Amino acid sequence: MELKKGKYRLEERGLNFSLSDDLNFNNKKSCFYFRGGNGFGKTSFLEKIIIPGFKNANAQYIYIGQDMRTQLYTLRALLSVQGFKVANNDEMELLRLWINNSRSATVFILDEFDKYFPDHGFIFDWSDSFIQTYIFVTHLGGSRPDAVAQKFKTSNVKFELIGFDGHLKNVQIGKE
Amino acid sequence: MAIYNLSTILNTYGDAYLILEFNHLFISSSIREEVWLLQRKDDDAMVKALMREAEEFDIHDASGDKDFDTYSGGQKAILGCLLMIAVIRNRKIHDLKLLLNHVLDSLSEDNQKKLFAKFEAIRSAHNIRLFTDKKDTIQEIR
Repeated sequence: MELKKGKYRLEERGLNFSLSDDLNFNNKKSCFYFRGGNGFGKTSFLEKIIIPGFKNANAQYIYIGQDMRTQLYTLRALLSVQGFKVANNDEMELLRLWINNSRSATVFILDEFDKYFPDHGFIFDWSDSFIQTYIFVTHLGGSRPDAVAQKFKTSNVKFELIGFDGHLKNVQIGKE
Repeated sequence: MAIYNLSTILNTYGDAYLILEFNHLFISSSIREEVWLLQRKDDDAMVKALMREAEEFDIHDASGDKDFDTYSGGQKAILGCLLMIAVIRNRKIHDLKLLLNHVLDSLSEDNQKKLFAKFEAIRSAHNIRLFTDKKDTIQEIR
């Protein structure tokens, strides 16, 4: 899936994006880090533009959202329905089981996951045999763990507020 | 630190700290309702003051009645902190240890600095100590 540079408007979220570079998610072994201020639309861009793009392209993806609490409850229920005994599993075990059973996915999206797990190298350990593209939303300064530094080509994507158009925020998105 | 099973953090720190947890910031749906619950009355002055402070963090579309679900995660964390500071100030609460769990990492560097400045303003006057989660333990922010 490739997003062409141009305008992307999310009226209902009060956001008007200007994408200044093409974002090509088809490249194998690539890792995108989305950064930018609070309320600049990183999660909205993911959920309303990028994920629908993957759906349209029939690309399988794993998405760990920002509100992990709700998702972990759902995950426990989902895995139980699938026959796994997870009553006493902690969150790491739940994630490992889910990821291990999502091997048809080629894209892995994590929204502020590193605030829960700053050393998130285990995500790569568990998934880089089948995942081609990672997308991280982060506020932390670092990027991927060194152990995978040679495996994935990194792109830093910055969200910047450049002004207002009425009630809409004009946000420029570009590669650094 | 646990994400959805909070028994560990509550058992360890619940008695001595006021905990603000990213996944459990609010129990109602808007700032006006949160203020009502914390102040036990409708407090329009506090709501308006909070909205003015939110502007300093570039949250220009905030309002007392806006549903929390329409804010970004980081904006919710900012509003939760501002609300806590406002209540401490308003009710003249002293000698408190605050623990921010998964909150600061939701904020941009710029907003973290602004938030620390807000905490600094109440730190000495109210004898407030601020802590944040650090892997499996906590760390004081000085």
